Amino acid sequence: MPHPSRARRRVTLAALVAVCVLAACQNGPNTTFEPHSEFGRAIDGLWKLLLHVGTVVFIFVETLLVYTIIRFRRREGQPEPKHVHGNTRLEILWTVTPAIVLACIAVPTVRTIFRTQARATPDALQVEVYGHQWWWEFRYPQYGVVTANEVYLPIGRKVNFALRTQDVLHSFWIPQMGGKRDLIANHTNYLWFTPDSSLGVLDWNGTCNEYCGLSHANMKFRVFTVLPADFERWAHHQALATTVGAVPPTTPVAAPATATPAGAPAAPARVGIRSAPDPLVRTVAQVSGGAPAVAPASTVVDSGYVFPADRMRSNVVAHTPIPDGLAFSPLVTGDAERGMQTYNKSACIGCHAIKGNPYSAGIVGPNLTHLASRHTIAAGLYPNDTDHLRLWIKNARAMKPGVIMPVLGVNEIDPLTHARVTAAVGGLTDQQIADIVAYLQLLR
Amino acid sequence: MATLAAPAIAAATTPTEYSGVWGWITTTDHKRIGRLYLFTALFFMLWGGAEAEIIRTQLRAPNMHFVSAATYNEIFTMHGTTMIFLAVMPLSAAFFNLLIPLQIGARDVAFPRLNAFSYWVYVLGGIVISLPIFFHAAPNGGWFGYTPLTTNAYSPGINIDVWVIGLQILGISSLAAGFNFITTIINMRAPGMNLMRMPMFTWMSFVVQFLIILAFPVITVALIFLVFDRFFGTNFYTTAAGADPLLWQHLFWIFGHPEVYILVLPAFGLVSEVLPTFARKPLFGYPVMVYSGILIGVLGFGVWAHHMFAVGMGPIADSFFSLTTMLIAVPTGVKIFNWIFTLWGGAIRFTVANCFAIGLLAMFTIGGISGVMHSSPPADLQQTDTYFVVAHFHYVLFGGSLMGLFAGIYYYFPKFTGRLLDERLGYWHFWLNLLGSNLTFFPMHFSGLNGMPRRIYTYDADQGWDTYNLLSTIGAYLVGVATLIFIYNILRSARHGQRAGNDPWGAPSLEWSIASPPPIYNFERIPTVTSRYPLWDVKDPQLTADVPHTEQGDFRLRVVVGGEHEGTVQFHPEPDVDPRHGAPLASERGTATAAELGIPIPYSTAKPFFAALGLVIMLCSLLTSHLDTHVPMYGLLFGGAAVLVASLYAWFTSPLEPEVAHA
Amino acid sequence: MTTATGDVGHGYTTTGLPNRKIAIWAFIGSECMLFASLISTYLIYKGRSLVGPFPHEAWTDATTGHVYQPILNIPVTSFSTFVLLMSSLAMVLALAAVENADVPKRTVGDRILGNSRLWLFVTALLGTTFLGCQAYEFTSFVHEGLSIKTNLFGSSFFTLTGFHGAHVTAGVLWLLTLLAIDMKRGLGPRDALNVDIAALYWHFVDVVWIAIFTLVYLIK
Repeated sequence: MPHPSRARRRVTLAALVAVCVLAACQNGPNTTFEPHSEFGRAIDGLWKLLLHVGTVVFIFVETLLVYTIIRFRRREGQPEPKHVHGNTRLEILWTVTPAIVLACIAVPTVRTIFRTQARATPDALQVEVYGHQWWWEFRYPQYGVVTANEVYLPIGRKVNFALRTQDVLHSFWIPQMGGKRDLIANHTNYLWFTPDSSLGVLDWNGTCNEYCGLSHANMKFRVFTVLPADFERWAHHQALATTVGAVPPTTPVAAPATATPAGAPAAPARVGIRSAPDPLVRTVAQVSGGAPAVAPASTVVDSGYVFPADRMRSNVVAHTPIPDGLAFSPLVTGDAERGMQTYNKSACIGCHAIKGNPYSAGIVGPNLTHLASRHTIAAGLYPNDTDHLRLWIKNARAMKPGVIMPVLGVNEIDPLTHARVTAAVGGLTDQQIADIVAYLQLLR
Repeated sequence: MATLAAPAIAAATTPTEYSGVWGWITTTDHKRIGRLYLFTALFFMLWGGAEAEIIRTQLRAPNMHFVSAATYNEIFTMHGTTMIFLAVMPLSAAFFNLLIPLQIGARDVAFPRLNAFSYWVYVLGGIVISLPIFFHAAPNGGWFGYTPLTTNAYSPGINIDVWVIGLQILGISSLAAGFNFITTIINMRAPGMNLMRMPMFTWMSFVVQFLIILAFPVITVALIFLVFDRFFGTNFYTTAAGADPLLWQHLFWIFGHPEVYILVLPAFGLVSEVLPTFARKPLFGYPVMVYSGILIGVLGFGVWAHHMFAVGMGPIADSFFSLTTMLIAVPTGVKIFNWIFTLWGGAIRFTVANCFAIGLLAMFTIGGISGVMHSSPPADLQQTDTYFVVAHFHYVLFGGSLMGLFAGIYYYFPKFTGRLLDERLGYWHFWLNLLGSNLTFFPMHFSGLNGMPRRIYTYDADQGWDTYNLLSTIGAYLVGVATLIFIYNILRSARHGQRAGNDPWGAPSLEWSIASPPPIYNFERIPTVTSRYPLWDVKDPQLTADVPHTEQGDFRLRVVVGGEHEGTVQFHPEPDVDPRHGAPLASERGTATAAELGIPIPYSTAKPFFAALGLVIMLCSLLTSHLDTHVPMYGLLFGGAAVLVASLYAWFTSPLEPEVAHA
Repeated sequence: MTTATGDVGHGYTTTGLPNRKIAIWAFIGSECMLFASLISTYLIYKGRSLVGPFPHEAWTDATTGHVYQPILNIPVTSFSTFVLLMSSLAMVLALAAVENADVPKRTVGDRILGNSRLWLFVTALLGTTFLGCQAYEFTSFVHEGLSIKTNLFGSSFFTLTGFHGAHVTAGVLWLLTLLAIDMKRGLGPRDALNVDIAALYWHFVDVVWIAIFTLVYLIK
């Protein structure tokens, strides 16, 4: 092979790489290059230093290498090269210089470590994170909120995440807010940051970053940064029991004991489905042609705040396709009242809790009290809409590999056990599922 | 006078070399064992490469269903396990076997039968851990097996059982080899070969053996704990009993970090052999290269928790390991500069071997830079467990270890087969490999920093990762093509390659002074070494005048080559030979046999093979514990033990080689 | 065997030490890491068991009301430690006897000290006594409610001491093999290397026990 061509090839290769690098400098929607909190900025400061140093070292070393192999390639008639065995001064130079460069990285590194790992100040918003295979449980102990797979954060206020796992190791990461922290069994880890005040009302992705089994890839969560006042509305509403109840009481009934901590505001009076005081429910009831609304028995019910769905950016919207072979009968409409009755008698209540429904107090699966206020289901995997919710209940294990939630659709094959689901073991027809979904969609 | 009176050797009661398959099973010759390692390791490299192609096909685009989640998790686990334990480490072991005795002027390793034992344990262990993938029972907890995911509570199936047993088996192979090579290098060097005259490959391998014998016991203990938890109900990793998952992580990474230096230092050693030969000048800064290698080995035991920056060890631990990790970058960088300055001022010949060696310099630099980026814990919190770290370690393992090993294969293939690998196919391999691997792994830096987690079997659309993944997949296919060209080159050149003489490259070290392929006894007479570059000394002594020599002056190297028996050197280096036109094969020159020279050769024996078989059967007995009856388990346990004990007894009571009657 | 041209004979070594000697030291180095990992795990889990019995303090089981005393028995273990230490002394004497097998023995005392079979037997006997004490200790712990599955202490304690006991057992078998060879054909200076290697292993196992005894039994 002629030598100049080889040298030219290497230069071409280097140019190609440079072009790729420059082209890749466009940031993706989950990029870590645009920090949105002081934590993210502290990291970014270090990262920029590392990137600059790395680029300089890269250019220097690779240029030196390419120059060397071009300049000193063998030529015809060239005498044997002089045998040089070393040069002490050079050795010292290229030992000391990198050491100094590294020291310049080490000092800000150690400073940043101590700054970002100091205890969060007591005024922080506390969020308890419990990792499960393969979903996220979030609690706000200061508000009495128990929810799953969605985090609302007020902008400009420090939030302190207490990270615990209920099973295997997981890792909590919101790439655009800062670094990640693992969830280790028998440990509590902490991660805190302050979403910038300048942030608008925006949505963010969160992922699990520690391999945790079959559906590790499907363990996502969503983060919404909202205005402080909206956050308060959201939190207060999320803490309430649902008013979509089974028993029409003559006197206000206390909220049943569920897995929520103390400090939750008193549940409002529960009434039948068709005459619930919740304005949202009233709207549904009116649409379905139900009886006119009854005035609330006691406290004024907050309508709650939900991040507007139309503001969700494309990278936060779930696009996971439905698995092949999973279908639902078209043209089935669900009846919410019937759905609630079915729900209260089916396997669902063994794992899920709905505050305000005394039948449903399970703690294995996500809390469903305000399921309809969430934008995704199955830990950020699918959009929260009628079709997906129906299919999820029908065959959750086909929708998300390995989940503990059993397959409930009659005649569906369970991918884990390969058994066919029958009505005898508690399988549900499409109509029953549609009814349940109609009920769940009232749980705003 | 060189003609010797051949001493009387007790007539061997069994022939020393068998033919065919039985010949391979009974061999105790380090060169043949090295060949076994080489071809087995290349097979597993293809196996792990196929697993990689499956991964990349699945990740080509969002939401693909090329493989299921369960299959993907087995594939990525086995890709890591295969490449590390079944491909790269054994490729290094192939070179330990082939080269070390030749480079130090010895006839074999210290314990030839233990050497064979190491190989057979490796092969059997490789089969144990690889076969289950055909039954959907392959390990699926990641190559690093973090608890509590790998405990019975969360992985009740046989998959993780296979993993723990398989790794224990492979660990025994490496440990045995470690004891063997430490003894060989310390105790079997030719006269005059003091430590600072050893070739760099032997030096780096020496450091690696210490890393092996000190690091593998730690993972042995971690695995013992997991085996005991899974099979005997202990609580080392049982969360409910108060166990700490970090115990596994610490034990694993105390092994795991030295392991990555085990993976890369032999490749560094090979580069240090290749570059000087093709630059026509000695390695720049030999003592510094030795000390930096030792320092990397020692410091390698002090950086392990940099794999754990996200687990919440606290600021003091994070800072300590951050500083030690930055510190280890210094000797590593020093090596890069010394290699560049080996080339500086030289007359560089771009043989394929040299291309790969230079390729290692280019790509390992990139991997080293991303490594320094990882060393800062706050920044690492954005990088760890994302594709950024996948990019980092593939640059250092693929662009580093594997490229160095390829350089070694192209360089030493003629020595051990007598034929040269085809250079034209080699260039295709090199360029496709360079282009393909950069195309595969460079975009991963970006997908990682754009939020893509590791170890996910699929990802959603619109996350900004699609293009990077597509590029990586295309690159991976290119690497696959390059690898197939390489394998074709090996298979074809083994039979039809251009013939090579003793020294097609004009190299300085002892192994190039003997025939290609070498006779079974390696050296007709153990040479007396007078400098670091024995063969160059002979050709051009004034050029190596400032290298340490013996006090008695510049003795001519007493090496007998081919059939010539003169006292002074009859050595014909071929520094300017065009590799396409080699010299006739050594056998055609009429090499003397061992018996004629009075050199005892270790007996060929199947005892190491049967000992390995017995041991592996014993360890595999636990894999039957899921069955309803315990009869198979006890059968395998005691059956295996019987085979092992019988083999060991026969081994220890039979002589290694024929007795030599003293004159 | 050397020739006039300065060739080296077969069996030449760079250091003058036999290969096996170097190999056993490398092996001992790796064993140090093995036991260091086992001991470190024990120390890490010290005091972190959720339920008893515990090594140095009493524990009341809340569900049954049963009171478990501190389970380690220092006096008994001190005796077994002493036994093991004495076995190392016996090993030294055995090695010396083998090395000096060709030296004529004049007095009865010399003959006793120079009897390699005796000292190999004593070493093996003392080692077996140690193992017997361990077996007694383990079974009594199990009777008192501590098994390898009970808690973190049980798992780490039994695994650590069990592995040490396995190493002692392997050593005893090795010594008995040497004893058998000695009784069959006699051991002399040409066997000194093999006995030396066995001695090194035996002393190592003893030193490991000192570390275990100190860290597990003596330090609270």
